[in-house]
Amino acid sequence: MSSPTFNSFRKNPLVVRLVVCLAGGVVLALMWGSQEGSTTDSAHAFTEAVLAPRIVGFLALGVLVWALISFWPRVRPYVVRPGAWPLVSGVVTVGAALFLMHWDDQVGNAKFSAVSSAVADTSGLAPLVTIYFGWLYWVGLLIVALLSAATIVTRRSLLGWIAAALSVVMGVLGLIAHSTLLDFTGGIDHSTGPFVALAGYVVIAAAAIAAGTSPEQVAQSRAFMAGLFGWRPGLPLVVVGALATIWALASATWFSPQNSNLTLSDTRTTFEGTGLSSLAVQYLAWLGWVSLAAAAVLTGAASYLRHRLLGWIGALVGAVGVVLTLITLYDISDLGAQNKFNSATGPWQNLGIGGWLACLGLFLIGSGGVIAAITPKSASGGATAEPIRSVLVPSRLRAAGDTLTQYRSLALAGAALVLFYPPMATLFWQKVLVIEVGVYVLLAIGLNVVVGWAGLLDLGFIAFFAIGSYTTAFLVGALPRKPPSWLHLSPLLAIPFAIIFCLIAGVLLGAPTLRLRGDYLAIVTLGFGEIIRIIAINNPGNFTNGPRGATNIPHPVIHLGPIHVTWGLDSLPYWYLLVVIIGIVLLLFYRLENSRLGRAWAAVREDEVAAQATGINATKVKLLAFAIGASTSGVAGVFFATQVGYINPDNFVLNNSILVLAYVVFGGMGSLPGAMAGAAVLTWLPEFLKDQVPSDDRVMWIGAIVLLMMILRPAGLIPAKRRKAELSGLQGTSSAETTAVPASEGL
Amino acid sequence: MSTWFHLLPEYLFEGLTRGSMYALIALGYTLVYGVLQLINFAHSEVFMSGAFGSFLVIHSITGNSAHPSAGVVALIIILGLLVGAVTGALIAWVLEQVAYRPLRRRGAPKLAFLISAIGASFFLSQLAGKLFGRLSNRGFPSYFNPNHLLFHIGTARIQLFPLIIIGSAIVMMIFLDRLVARTKLGRSVRAVAEDAPTAALMGIDIDRTISRTFMIGGALAGAAGFMFGTAFGFGNTMGFTPGIKAFAAAVLGGIGNIRGAMIGGLVLGVVESVVPALPAIGTSWTDVVAFVVLVLVLLVRPTGILGEKLGRAA
Repeated sequence: MSSPTFNSFRKNPLVVRLVVCLAGGVVLALMWGSQEGSTTDSAHAFTEAVLAPRIVGFLALGVLVWALISFWPRVRPYVVRPGAWPLVSGVVTVGAALFLMHWDDQVGNAKFSAVSSAVADTSGLAPLVTIYFGWLYWVGLLIVALLSAATIVTRRSLLGWIAAALSVVMGVLGLIAHSTLLDFTGGIDHSTGPFVALAGYVVIAAAAIAAGTSPEQVAQSRAFMAGLFGWRPGLPLVVVGALATIWALASATWFSPQNSNLTLSDTRTTFEGTGLSSLAVQYLAWLGWVSLAAAAVLTGAASYLRHRLLGWIGALVGAVGVVLTLITLYDISDLGAQNKFNSATGPWQNLGIGGWLACLGLFLIGSGGVIAAITPKSASGGATAEPIRSVLVPSRLRAAGDTLTQYRSLALAGAALVLFYPPMATLFWQKVLVIEVGVYVLLAIGLNVVVGWAGLLDLGFIAFFAIGSYTTAFLVGALPRKPPSWLHLSPLLAIPFAIIFCLIAGVLLGAPTLRLRGDYLAIVTLGFGEIIRIIAINNPGNFTNGPRGATNIPHPVIHLGPIHVTWGLDSLPYWYLLVVIIGIVLLLFYRLENSRLGRAWAAVREDEVAAQATGINATKVKLLAFAIGASTSGVAGVFFATQVGYINPDNFVLNNSILVLAYVVFGGMGSLPGAMAGAAVLTWLPEFLKDQVPSDDRVMWIGAIVLLMMILRPAGLIPAKRRKAELSGLQGTSSAETTAVPASEGL
Repeated sequence: MSTWFHLLPEYLFEGLTRGSMYALIALGYTLVYGVLQLINFAHSEVFMSGAFGSFLVIHSITGNSAHPSAGVVALIIILGLLVGAVTGALIAWVLEQVAYRPLRRRGAPKLAFLISAIGASFFLSQLAGKLFGRLSNRGFPSYFNPNHLLFHIGTARIQLFPLIIIGSAIVMMIFLDRLVARTKLGRSVRAVAEDAPTAALMGIDIDRTISRTFMIGGALAGAAGFMFGTAFGFGNTMGFTPGIKAFAAAVLGGIGNIRGAMIGGLVLGVVESVVPALPAIGTSWTDVVAFVVLVLVLLVRPTGILGEKLGRAA
């Protein structure tokens, strides 16, 4: 048992790593799939998961990971070459489009496999369709991927150009095959699979070109991205926006009554002579195209020539274009509702994605103009016209302004998507956006203040969400004890009250406990969360209505002078209410991080004793963090209560607290865009994969993700700049003894 | 109120039963806190795994047969305790290797440890749910709780199985006490808890000691899981509430103090049994009692009843 050979075998790092990787493969096999444990046969799930042929695949995956880690030094030079990671992400995107996305809504479950088998069974289709859906889709992808990989290894530019051309051809072929198929099957179609595949193929093409032509040995991806955005500030936005608007005006659906897809020109002919307002008629005829052309030319010139005034003018024209489009959409749908097209009951119904895509595109063009106008000329080298090739060679020092331009461009593009994508999404996704993504993003922003900025591990965050919801329920009279008649409020007016109550609750919880160390605070806040939930269930004094909760909470209404806005069952208006709320919160928090209070939080987080020594009142500062986080959660609670209309204690379980913590940690503790991104990704992913992964397993996967994140990349997706340095820790410079016990006292 | 007073011995006995299980789990928390100064949030899943492990083995041996002879039952109980302890130790060891050791190597801040533990805890409980079903009150074979009334002390009905639970818990606690006080391993645990770098200079292998500490705590929790499962039923989320209460018990007795954890567990069990029986309060508030005790202790006497011996104060 302790013979020398066995011991050396046991301690050999390669062998240990192989065992660990194989074990990891087995664990993954246990997690993956829809096997469910049963109480009658305890080993059922286990045998189905492990003693089945598919275990070979998982073990092979383990061996592959082991090989990658063990022979990483030999692989690494290829992986960091220009084009390597873009190639991988492009292939993954195309794969995701092929496995997960819809290709034709009329066929089976609309996924590619269903379409492919349907095509195989049908005769009379165009040969391109049969070939593409038969074998070309994977053969083409394989050839393109292999050629690109060969380009990365051999660095021959000819190979790169060939691979890029083939890649673009594959993407376009997919589009053509898709639209031919649509003509064949007919019907309304919202499938986006081919477009995502095209995007993937474009990325692969770019990767192949970069791999073949770049003189660098190592990819400078950050400098490349910054240079791309900084070469002519705003130009990428203008190009993308113009392409989107051209597509929208030329061939996207604008109006779809009774199962017909009407493009812009079709809409014009349909509405001819029906009394449509003249502005809308002219827009449909020529004004749309003209505003696109004007905005694009102005902003394009502004960004190419680095001309400020032109940029502002172009932005203005773009904004006018957005407004014109919105007015046209309103007129079309309003008239359509009056004529009872497809049983419409009011404006904004029966619209296709065309109008919204045009708005998106014009907004992007306008944003490009804004960026061109606000970026000073001194950034990225002045007004000399550098060739585009220079972005591939980061040999000169990039100015810091390039990164700022990049962030601004991405932020404006994000704003465009936030404003104009939801109307284009399907009803299912609109509901997900409002109920899951939006609420959890707001919660993540609040928890980020407590955990990320102040470093307090709050595990009972959902308690404040509950307080906000029950406050709303009380004030609108949905609970057994009614408020006095002068206090009977409309839901949105409950927001200030929810904030006040959550502030009080936060201070009550924090005052005695915040002087405790982090570990104790975690447990006490967890206990607080549970106590709130138990109070809600136990219904003392018949206040919370027990497990039944509150029903019949009215939806929000706004009656302010001439403005009358009501919300109903439709998800989309809630999204815009949420955008306003989150916008206000972001505006308030954005400055907070770099303010005096934010710096005090960072000091307390890193070393409380030292912070106190410099005169910061640690307890007061921590209480403020608690209170601010609590009130954000309360506002989210108000929104949730009025949007869903009913609440009960099951909405406020501990799981949800942990989920919000997971979102913040995954996205990057302490970074505001990180918390939002983490919440958005981790609420979107389970819905996106809901056919692949059973919904019961969601918490398991998220637990595994949190664990892996802390082990491998504790800084998160979008690290806060300060945090990244903290969490990477001492890299192997100390011996095992001195790092055996966590060194720091504070968090 | 007079009924309450009348039934007090009964509540005390029930409290001792629960308290001994809390004490076993609290020992795990306290041991890890002593050596690493961090709360092992995933300890509750170690507890749960002991219940599942012992159930699987016992079920595969006896099936659903009812009422074997007393000797066989005794053997099965010992087997259950052993298997529970082994499963608990194994899961605790894996936990330390996967969730804590990489972070220790890197010198990560405390927050990272806590979050990693939370992730591991949720992952383990949900994985168990996926593999073995999410029913929350499964039972062991019925011959484990025969309501076999032995005798009365006042109004307390002393049943056989709770007595076995209390007895085995006391035996395990005595064993642990001797282990920590008299053996070489115990000495190294105390040394690492007091001053890790100096212990390393004295030639103690810190990594191995920490591993062994996790395993000891895990063994105790696993055995407690078996007992809890037989008495109260088990499920994949069974660890959460007892885990919190056991942590409250550990703090009550003085975190890092082994005898404190034992006493704290027993005291908390008794309080939890006696207080909700008061007519004014009601049993639906049972879970809240532990949290209230925790907050009160942290406010009034953070070092706990016996004060801290290993490790530092709040």
